[in-house]
Amino acid sequence: MATYQWPKERRILGTRVPRIDAPDKATGMAKYSFDINRPGMLHAMILRSPYAHAKITKLDTSVAEKMPGVKAVHVIAQPGKELFYAGDEVLGIAADTEEHCADALRAVKAEYEPLDFQVLETDALEKDLKTVSPQANNRSNVRAGGQGETGNVADAFSKADAVVEGEYGAPTICHQCLESHGLVSEWDKDGNLTVWASTQAVYGTAQALAGYFRIPTTKVKCITHFMGGGFGSKFGPDIQGTVCAELAKKAGAPVKLMLDRADEATVGGTRPSAYGKVKIGGMKDGTITAYEVDCYGSPGVGGGSTVNFGLLPYVYVVPNVKKKHQFIRLNVQGSRAMRAPGHPQNCILTEGAVDDLAAKLGLDPMQVRLKNLPQNDPNAQMNAPQSYNALRNTIYTKELEIAAQLSDWKNKWHPPGKGPPKGPLKHGMGMALHTWGGAAGKPNEINVTVSSDGSVLVQASTQDLGTAAKTVLAIIVAETLGLEVKDITVRVGESQYGPSSGSGGSTTCPGTSPPTLAAAVNARDALLEKIAGRLGTKTDELSIGVGEIRSKDGKSWKWKEACAKLGMESVKGTGMWNADLDKAALSNVGVGGVQVAEVWVDTETGTVRCSKVVAVQDCGLIVNKLGCESQTAGGVIMGLNYALFEERIMDRHTGRQVNPDMEFYKLGGLSDMPQIVVHMHDMPERGVIGIGEPPTISTAAAIGNAVANAIGVRVPYAPYTPDRVLAALSGQKGGKA
Amino acid sequence: MKNFTYYRPTTADQAVALLDNKWGTTELLAGGTDLLDLQKEYVSQPDKVISLGGVKELTGIEGTRGTLRIGAGTKLAEIAANADVRKMYPALASAAEDIAGPQIRNMGTLGGSLCQRNRCWYFRDEQVQCLLKGGKKCFATDGENRYHAIFTQGHPCVIVNPSTLGPVLIALGARATVKGPKGTRELKLAEFFNAPRAEGEREHVLASNELLVSVDIPLPAVAPIANNASYEVRQKLSSDWPLVQAACAFKYDGGTASNVKIVLGHVAPTPVIAEAAAKAIEGKAVTEESATAAGEAASEGAKPLAQNGYKVQLVHVAVKRALLTAAGAKKYWEA
Repeated sequence: MATYQWPKERRILGTRVPRIDAPDKATGMAKYSFDINRPGMLHAMILRSPYAHAKITKLDTSVAEKMPGVKAVHVIAQPGKELFYAGDEVLGIAADTEEHCADALRAVKAEYEPLDFQVLETDALEKDLKTVSPQANNRSNVRAGGQGETGNVADAFSKADAVVEGEYGAPTICHQCLESHGLVSEWDKDGNLTVWASTQAVYGTAQALAGYFRIPTTKVKCITHFMGGGFGSKFGPDIQGTVCAELAKKAGAPVKLMLDRADEATVGGTRPSAYGKVKIGGMKDGTITAYEVDCYGSPGVGGGSTVNFGLLPYVYVVPNVKKKHQFIRLNVQGSRAMRAPGHPQNCILTEGAVDDLAAKLGLDPMQVRLKNLPQNDPNAQMNAPQSYNALRNTIYTKELEIAAQLSDWKNKWHPPGKGPPKGPLKHGMGMALHTWGGAAGKPNEINVTVSSDGSVLVQASTQDLGTAAKTVLAIIVAETLGLEVKDITVRVGESQYGPSSGSGGSTTCPGTSPPTLAAAVNARDALLEKIAGRLGTKTDELSIGVGEIRSKDGKSWKWKEACAKLGMESVKGTGMWNADLDKAALSNVGVGGVQVAEVWVDTETGTVRCSKVVAVQDCGLIVNKLGCESQTAGGVIMGLNYALFEERIMDRHTGRQVNPDMEFYKLGGLSDMPQIVVHMHDMPERGVIGIGEPPTISTAAAIGNAVANAIGVRVPYAPYTPDRVLAALSGQKGGKA
Repeated sequence: MKNFTYYRPTTADQAVALLDNKWGTTELLAGGTDLLDLQKEYVSQPDKVISLGGVKELTGIEGTRGTLRIGAGTKLAEIAANADVRKMYPALASAAEDIAGPQIRNMGTLGGSLCQRNRCWYFRDEQVQCLLKGGKKCFATDGENRYHAIFTQGHPCVIVNPSTLGPVLIALGARATVKGPKGTRELKLAEFFNAPRAEGEREHVLASNELLVSVDIPLPAVAPIANNASYEVRQKLSSDWPLVQAACAFKYDGGTASNVKIVLGHVAPTPVIAEAAAKAIEGKAVTEESATAAGEAASEGAKPLAQNGYKVQLVHVAVKRALLTAAGAKKYWEA
């Protein structure tokens, strides 16, 4: 039995490797699901409720069915059905062109009985109209979430040297995947279904469609060769997936159903809002002694927490904590997981208060952070010395040191509102910390095949969301076989390649790297065993060198020369999660990160320009440094948009989103981006940990703190727009969404 | 998108002849950056779409006697890059090059900028029947109105006119040449815009069978610099509408400003000529102090809605900064 371990000396692992599909993406050769066009393919769209809450009273498709080009209609909601948000699905239509399809949707005679609705948290808090779907016979919009107290908050506040009360929050934002949700579905004459889906779970989507149609999983193939972003919103076929496949079945032709931009914004997923009143108390030396939060947020029409309640306050250890959370169900789409669910909200509700306490105590907020970091857990140090709990204080302390140095914190930080004078422009710096898991996703099966011409193929059904996951597989196989990344052919994103886990929770890299190593080691061993005799030696005499196979007696064969000995054969190695791989501890869980933001606030216009963000991030063993840096920079960009631009705006009169677009749903462009300085804090001894999500968590909180540091007053709610900044400067609170 | 008949005339006269004498049934297609969106959203459903792409007489920038003439079909990118425009009308060059992104500027035209429909999110929502679509009420007045008008009195519909070239051209004293079935007429840009109140009204005063042909801008003094400027307060630097825009032009002889024109954009259903602001600085040196006073005078008469009171402050700042820029003063707001 082979043993699996990461090489002590790494030739390619941990270096900067450009993603292997970069040329395809840069030249437009990469075909995303949206780009798939099949012979005879139809286009489908979904008719949606125009009302935030209504009952369908009449649905007549007879005229629509006779419209030019219409080939199939699939009803989702029959008359009598209650619809709970503007965008709720009524029916799907497939036609020969997009234009015919759009015209046919408008020919459907649908009548509705409009019902009471609520789309704003503040409205529901003022008066609960009970307008959402019943959960356990309860239609209440306002629901109690978590509640609890540890220690004695009142006592701690009374003894504190300083106590600060403030409000902090961020609105609901949309995933706004650049490639919208959707797929192309095609049935063959034998009842096999192939879908080209934009999904974060290739294998899971195939399974879900098989379940829906009650056919064997082997008859469904899901393909996702290239994917234009999911961020947690694309784990399955979704309603448009089943509707698309139904329409394809009815029409007997391939059907494409990709959401348009307005649908993507109104039904494609959101991160729930979070608003809170926070009271924080501490001592002159910076020790935080008490934290109290009363917060709420909306998960949309669904239910559930909008913060990570267990992790409040975030990161820091506070002895006395009192907390309360309410979730407000509204007549808008249900929220979905979005890049570190709950954490960015936690970070905003904690880090803003930490800075405001530091300001009141007259302390450098970095020193306050150092003072309140969680200690390394002595039990963990005994039992699992490479675990996050064993190392967390060490990690954060080191990362803060690095972040301070890269941001020139010592020279540039100043007390709030006391920056160097530059007319109406005020300079500010802020920081925030974050944490995340990033454990291995399971199961994942990886297969490596070595052919007699020396070519090497890696196959897995896992998906590359744009995270450079393909390149990870190539790096590990090349490292193991003594080859270069360019020598490895990678095929991923097809469900028939075996089980794979969905890409959520930053679990893909740690979930695929170990089995890829195992597959490569197994393929290597199979190769050596097969060719040893043919090379006139024994298997255990052979080893891998760079581009060659060596024997202990000093002989060597070029890789291709050695592989040629396979003759008509090939060898294969499979890697999958099992007890051996678990025991090998090639991956780990738990990271910390520190970000520092620098801003300039124009106090006459209220505009905020972020000029620099320093992001220090650990992720255990780095597989691809360039990929990690790219992920981290991407996280910062997303966090900057959360801080300065993004906001889902609902209209209380129509119940509709007024900005389901990229015009007034604002996203920063190149000119709005800061200098992003990424530092990967390499800890190879810990094994591989995922970092898809963590680098986006603390950016918004850091920018919020930088704005407060610049102007000397807190802007309570993100995004920190001119109207909110001007309101804060004039002593008002600043509008909520 | 409702099906339509597509026409591609080669002369302005042919284009005019194809237009109907009521709004809604025919639409002129120039760059298409607005019309195509409106059609895809079923907000505009014309029977006839008349492309202006083949009408050569509508394009080009040329000096005539005493004016610079810009054809209505001239691309925004061409206006922004034109050497004469950059030298004589920095206000126009900066406004043109700040519109949206390169793709829009490479397709969008001068005529399109001046004649485009408003960007109100209620107007653009197919499901909402607002005043301009035959409905009974303006949804923005007591709805989501952070980007809407602050000069609201007398306006049942509180859109802002989206054109950033309009305020600049008014400030520069430009005139428009318009072709209709009865021939050609001229009008001042200052009289070009209209505050629509109901369906069948547009954001400009042209009749449904008229075509904007060109705009003539008087030649300004350019030594030592051309004293005109446009300043936009924007949330984003890339591809965003201004929250407030101020354009200004004046003669600057011997350290005093005369013939001052100040025009505001994105604050009302039409560009707003800020007469009180102009009067405040007329005959004075343009200093931070005088520009501040003019800026504060510019919001005279503003009556903001529930969510856009902040724009009043932005008007003050935009006017001040536009005036200082036009005077060639140091940009105190830049780091």
